[in-house]
Formats: sequence, structure tokens, C-alpha cells
Amino acid sequence: MLSDRIAKISSMSSREILVEGRELRHMLKPRLGHENLGLGVGLRTVHFAHILEHQPEVDWFEIISENFMDSAGRPRHVLEQIAARYPIVMHGVSLSIGSTDPLNREYLKKLKVLAASINARWISDHVCWTGVAGRNTHDLLPIPYNESTLSHLVERIRIVQEILERPLVLENPSSYLEFQDSTMSESEFVCRMAEEADCGLLLDVNNVYVSSVNHEFDPVEYIEAIPARRVVQCHLAGHTNCGTHLIDTHNGKVIDPVWNLFQLMHQRTGGVATLLEWDADIPPFPVVHAEVLKARKYMDEHLPVCDQDFSTETVANTSSTAIPHPASFITAEVE
Amino acid sequence: MSDAPRNLDQIQRWMQAVISWPAGVTAGIDSEAAQSRIPLNSDELETVITASSQMTSLERMGIYANAYYARLLECLSEEYPALVCAMGETAFGAFCMEYLQAYPPTSYTLGDLGAHFPQFLKEHKPPADEDEVNWPDFLIELATLERIYSEVFDGPGIEQETLLTAEALSSIAPDDWPELALKMAPCFRLLQFQFPVHEYVSSARQGNTPGIPDQQSTYLAVTRRNFIVRREAITPSEYFLLSRLQQGLKVGDAITQFAESDLMEPDELGQQLHQWFKRWTTAAFFIGVSKV
Repeated sequence: MLSDRIAKISSMSSREILVEGRELRHMLKPRLGHENLGLGVGLRTVHFAHILEHQPEVDWFEIISENFMDSAGRPRHVLEQIAARYPIVMHGVSLSIGSTDPLNREYLKKLKVLAASINARWISDHVCWTGVAGRNTHDLLPIPYNESTLSHLVERIRIVQEILERPLVLENPSSYLEFQDSTMSESEFVCRMAEEADCGLLLDVNNVYVSSVNHEFDPVEYIEAIPARRVVQCHLAGHTNCGTHLIDTHNGKVIDPVWNLFQLMHQRTGGVATLLEWDADIPPFPVVHAEVLKARKYMDEHLPVCDQDFSTETVANTSSTAIPHPASFITAEVE
Repeated sequence: MSDAPRNLDQIQRWMQAVISWPAGVTAGIDSEAAQSRIPLNSDELETVITASSQMTSLERMGIYANAYYARLLECLSEEYPALVCAMGETAFGAFCMEYLQAYPPTSYTLGDLGAHFPQFLKEHKPPADEDEVNWPDFLIELATLERIYSEVFDGPGIEQETLLTAEALSSIAPDDWPELALKMAPCFRLLQFQFPVHEYVSSARQGNTPGIPDQQSTYLAVTRRNFIVRREAITPSEYFLLSRLQQGLKVGDAITQFAESDLMEPDELGQQLHQWFKRWTTAAFFIGVSKV
């Protein structure tokens, strides 16, 4: 692709070369030019009091955008205090970029206003759809991966990026089924989507692992296929082993095979902002923070990736009633 | 992998119909909503959804169908914990299933998911004698109060406003009072119930399993200070006067209506009014006065 662009430049006017060159430099910047924020934690209401009181040495926080964009109460008040002290990234669950419904312009407007008010470093969501015909299932539903759906997503990502006036960062979801209408793998779809829409990627290595077990593909091949410089952020989380499949429950520690995928991702990207999500059975804040800090161990460049085991589950976190996330509701505080 | 992929809109409408069908995936595939998008029998599901070596395509669809109701039920349970306590988890779950058919989620935020639940319970209240207060009335009142707590907690408040002080109120000349109107705080709610639901909600939210209270006319003022929802029981007289002020009546007109209501002896009224206004102002029910 780089050689194609260089060949194209040779036949351009000086002004065109300037524009193209700017784009090229932009594309070549690691993380699309975004800062590596370090090791962060997903902000959850149960930790509000601890964070405000103890001001823990966390590198950054990620918020669920929808929990704050309409808030005029305590959640927004707490967020403003935290945003004054820590870098914030906005992570959404309702953009529904893959839906055939029209984009919700009012939602996008609110997203943009919130991002400006808390100086969000970037805005992310998922490669999925959440509903159609005016409904929102509040789930991250998979799409078939083919040329037609790829064009659909690319067009919508471009529109969203124009409205938000910033690159969108999209996450690979965990999924539990695949469509007969798919004509390409998820990794190929995500790579082409990112290149054609010129957007960033949030690589969730736990999702790669979960989907690789559910759909029987090689997670290493997946991560090796991802365009490293488009990866702006990484997610880590725990999941639940249901025997015949895995579910992305965000309810526990990160297992060793996922850490090993993280290490591979780290070596390929040179390091990106990394965040731990913990959304069910949430332990005290120091436990969550300690879990993400384990990432340091896997950021040693000299560890040989080839010796790592990418396939063995080492935590018996099993359940038959697991609910995939997102599920995030803020309960009122009453006195 | 097929040569001619189905239209994405067709697949999405079909999948949404199947996973949100209350009787399960097989019945969902057979439903008219799904059949109108992709006509097939459940044993033909593999023509749309692939199987894995561990799971059939039906089982894979089942993960999304189970998650749809489980997730939404979890959120409704978190918004209505006292209602869960009063109804029991099984009955609450059954009502939620019906609620989600009547009011399927349409908003980008889960904060709106339970907005119609009190209304839904009213619509599904079993018939009773017109004047009879019964168990469903109690449940409807519980749901109403819990929803108001959610709205007040995350809605517009007064934390960033310059509040009306008792001193400012005292400085108003007595002759000016009748022509003034009071601006209520945006988070202020005035409520009338047939049961002391506020006590039940507080007890249930503290983890107790309170008994169902006897019927008792209850008047509540709900507001928010320092980002925490505050509720207090008020007297019928306070409710009468505050409701008139909330409607935008001039203070003089509201007091005249109150005096005509015979809720209080005229000689008590003057002293009581002074105390009420002082307390209501301290509680930040009002955020300003204006001459009408």
C-alpha cells in the first residue's frame, strides 16, 4: 500500500503532493498520532468515592459515554472532577455504526459536546450494530463480513468522523455467532475498514481470544494481521468459560493466554494506551488497578513471544448464566 | 459461504425479531416478524447462521436471545430494587418480560429503559372496585417513587445555582408578598400517595425485607441537594400550599385558596406560614422569586 501511494505522488502537482504527504505522514504516525496514555482503568460508579478521596496514581480513565452525556447529576459532577486530574477517553456502546437505521445525529451532537467539555483524548465504540427499526437491544450485535457491509460501515464511519471532527476509534467485539453471508474473516474486515475509512482501532485482546475460541480461528494470526499503527488503544478484561463457548463478561482477572496476546500486540504496536474493563462482581478499586498494572510484566521487549501459550485457559471462571457486557445502569443515591 | 449475500437490513430486522422474541429462539424464527424478513424453519437456521464444532447455530443464536432479556432485566432490577423486594424476583421478572414487549428499548441510554414502567403497571392493573385501594396500587406507587428518584438523581439540579436564602426572603416587604411567584427548583417534585412508600423504598434499599405497610395518605417533597436525592414527608396543608405555588400561582392567591380550604384555623396560619417558608427555603425547594 505504501509503494502504491509513493507511485501516486510521482504524478501529482506540488499542492497535491503537499496534501498527500500530510496524509501519508498522518498515516505513518503510531497510534494515529495519539499519545500512549499508559495503563488505565474503566471508570465505574462503585469506585467514585475511592477515586475522589484517594486520587490514586492511575494513568487515565475510560468512561462509558452514554452514562454521562445526558447526566446533570452526580455522575457528571464526579466526572468533571476526575477529568480535571486525569486524561479521559470516551467509550460508547450505542453508536450502532453497523446498523441500517439512520445515524442518530442528536446522539452524535451530545457525544461531541461531552468530548469537548472533558477534553476527551479520543472517542471509541464498537464494530457492531445495537438495534434496527428504532430499537436498541443494548447488545453489541455482529454483522456479516462482506463487501457490501464493509462499504456500509466505511461510509458511516466517514460521516461520523466529519460530524465529530476527529477520527473514530473502533473496537473488535466479542461475538458468539457467524453468518453464512460472510465472505471474509473478521480480521480482514477490520483491517480494510480501518484503512478505507481512515479510522483508529481499539484492539480488545480479550475479545480476540473469546471470538477465536467461539469461531475456531487463530488469535495470533488475527493480531498479526491488524495494521499496528492504527491501533490507538488496547482493552483487557476477564471472561467466562461456558464449556462450549466463552462469554465476554468483564467479571474477573485477565487469563494468561490473553496476557500473551497482549504481549504480542505490545510488541507489534510499540505500546498503546491500555485499559482494563471490569463490569460485574467489581472488586475494590486497588484490586482492579493492580490487575491492569500486571501489564508491565508483558511490556518487556525481550520476552520471547514464541514461547508463550495462547491457547490454554488457566482460570476456571465458569457459568451457564453469564451475560455479555455492556450492561451499565447508574442507580440513584437517596438520603 | 454464499455467493449473493442477503441485504444487511433484512438480516438485522430478522435477527432482532428472533433474539427479542419472548418465547425463545425457535418460536422467534417461526414468528411472523422474523418470517417476513427471512422465511425459514428452525432446522434450516444454518443457511443463515453457521454452526461451530461445539455449538449448533440455534444454540449460538440462543446466547444473544438469553442475553437480551437477562441484561435488560438486570438494569430494571437495579432501577427498581424496592419493587423487586415487594413483588419477588419471579413476579418482577414476568412483569419485565411483558413490559419489554409493550415498551421495547429505543433510547441510546439505559437510563431511559425503565421510564414507562410505572405507566405500564397502571395499564396492567387488574380491575377492582373503584374506591378500593389494593396491592397493585401499592406496587404502582412504589414504581412511581423509584422512577422519580432516578429522574431527580441524574436530571437538572441546583448545585450550580445561587440559591434563595432565608435572609433574602425575610427582606421582602410584607406588602410585596401577595404579588410574588416562587420559582421552584428544577429537581423539586411534589407527590401524593396512598401508602408510605418512601419508608418502604428506603428500608428495601438498605437490604431489609419490610412488610407491606397499611394504607396511609402520604405527601412527599422530593428534591436534590449536593447531588443526593432528598425526600421528606410533609403535611396535607404543606402539600396544598406547595402544589399551588408549583402551579405558578401568586403567593397571595395561593394563601387565599389555602385559607378557604379550612385545612387550618386562621389564627394559626400566620405563624405557620412563616415557619414553612423558612424551612422550604432552607431545603432549597425554591430557587427564586419574581413579581407576576
